[in-house]
Amino acid sequence: MAYVAVSGGEEAIEASIRLLEYYRSGTEMDLELEVVENKLSLLVDRVMSEAGLYSRRYAALALKQCEGSVEEAVFLLRAYRSTLKRSYDTRTLDTASMRIVRRISAAFKDIQGGQILGATYDYTHRLMNFSLEHEDAPALQSRMREELARQNPVLPEPCVRVSDSLKEEGLIERFPLDETPPFDVTQNLLEFPASRSARLQTLARADMGFISGLAYSVLRGFGQVHPTVGELRTGYLELEVPYLQNESESLWIGEVLITEAEVFNAADDKDQLKLACGYGIIFGRNENKAIAMAVLDHELDQGGDYPSQNEEFVLTHGDSLEMNGFVSHLKLPHYVTFQSKLDAVRKTRRKNHE
Amino acid sequence: MNKREISKILARADAACVRAMADAIKAEHEAVVVKAPEKSLTMIQLRDPVQETLFYLGEVIVSEAVVELEGAKGTAVVMGDDFNRVLDMAVIDAACNRGVFRQFAELERLAKEQELAAARENALFLKTMVNFTSMDSEAAQ
Repeated sequence: MAYVAVSGGEEAIEASIRLLEYYRSGTEMDLELEVVENKLSLLVDRVMSEAGLYSRRYAALALKQCEGSVEEAVFLLRAYRSTLKRSYDTRTLDTASMRIVRRISAAFKDIQGGQILGATYDYTHRLMNFSLEHEDAPALQSRMREELARQNPVLPEPCVRVSDSLKEEGLIERFPLDETPPFDVTQNLLEFPASRSARLQTLARADMGFISGLAYSVLRGFGQVHPTVGELRTGYLELEVPYLQNESESLWIGEVLITEAEVFNAADDKDQLKLACGYGIIFGRNENKAIAMAVLDHELDQGGDYPSQNEEFVLTHGDSLEMNGFVSHLKLPHYVTFQSKLDAVRKTRRKNHE
Repeated sequence: MNKREISKILARADAACVRAMADAIKAEHEAVVVKAPEKSLTMIQLRDPVQETLFYLGEVIVSEAVVELEGAKGTAVVMGDDFNRVLDMAVIDAACNRGVFRQFAELERLAKEQELAAARENALFLKTMVNFTSMDSEAAQ
């Protein structure tokens, strides 16, 4: 058996790529990016989160380009970002200052600042709404705009965290400010044991299905069972960068929508005197991913024999690009390696017949 | 107004308003582009509220431009890829640095408008605030 160089296939490949256009050509109607951005916003959020790149417009474009495939869209965004240089890090942000659009707690019914349901599907009947088949979109928009205009303005106020009061009571550990520069998984190879910053960045970018499944395994008994969501909040974070001509000043560059979760767990300290916390934060509105991240954050702190407690298992298998790339490579030609497998089997069969 | 306040107003304002302000400056002063608008990345750095460590959440795409107006440089950085806006914002920044920006009243008007819009939207969210009432059985516990 030897390596065999093969040629050909170029025309077939070109035709295959053209065929992708064929699959997008079934209608004369264009898919406007504005529509994707505004009406499939949770899908856009998921793509931005897994790409680690917040750009609603480009996420919409990527989804349009690949027929709505999340992993392809993530691939496109990651590839695009790799063509750009990085000019700034934002000033360090504290999510306590976010402009809140939803905030709930499963731990306390009365929380300072109140529980704000915001927009949630939690209380909807999961019945198909066939009237949306022919929706009057302009009417919907003008109805909502009128409702907005009728509101009595209330200035947004930042809310203290639910965990703050527990910290004051000494029921949750307080850590000193750690100014260690963050590890950046986009520029460095992940090493183990991973720093906390590497863990949080990796989980924030992880595939939603992967970390949700792992968190589910924890709840089913393959881990520290049932954490309580101390606080789940969604809101806008304002981004600032230093003004390079005078670094004592800042420039406001925009805001991003994020979801953050803090989960409380049974005491795991030696004396069983404090609650343990897990933390999750992700781009956009994707609560289950934020909660799953917080569950896994605590599991990794805890350590143990379950998959969800194994740092290398959790952090190296959840990246959308890497996992899909690796699984996908299986379908590419493996003619030579497969031939050697066949040869081995044939040899064994011959030996057995002799 | 500091740089943060001005950039926040301009980044959220209607592009035509920003253009009109920059045009008014350019009608009286010569603005030279030092660094043409260009896209790049900005990494979001956060503090983890649980263990107080710093970490990176992810990146945003920003556009950046630098102009010079009669010896004073102006810089603008804003999320997205609206090159016209970022160039106009750099002109306004240069005018501020040169001390020839005269449209603070317009900025204040825009700021009020934006604040009102945010407060109205906030009111909409606050309508979903839950008022819990303890049931008898719970109160008895």
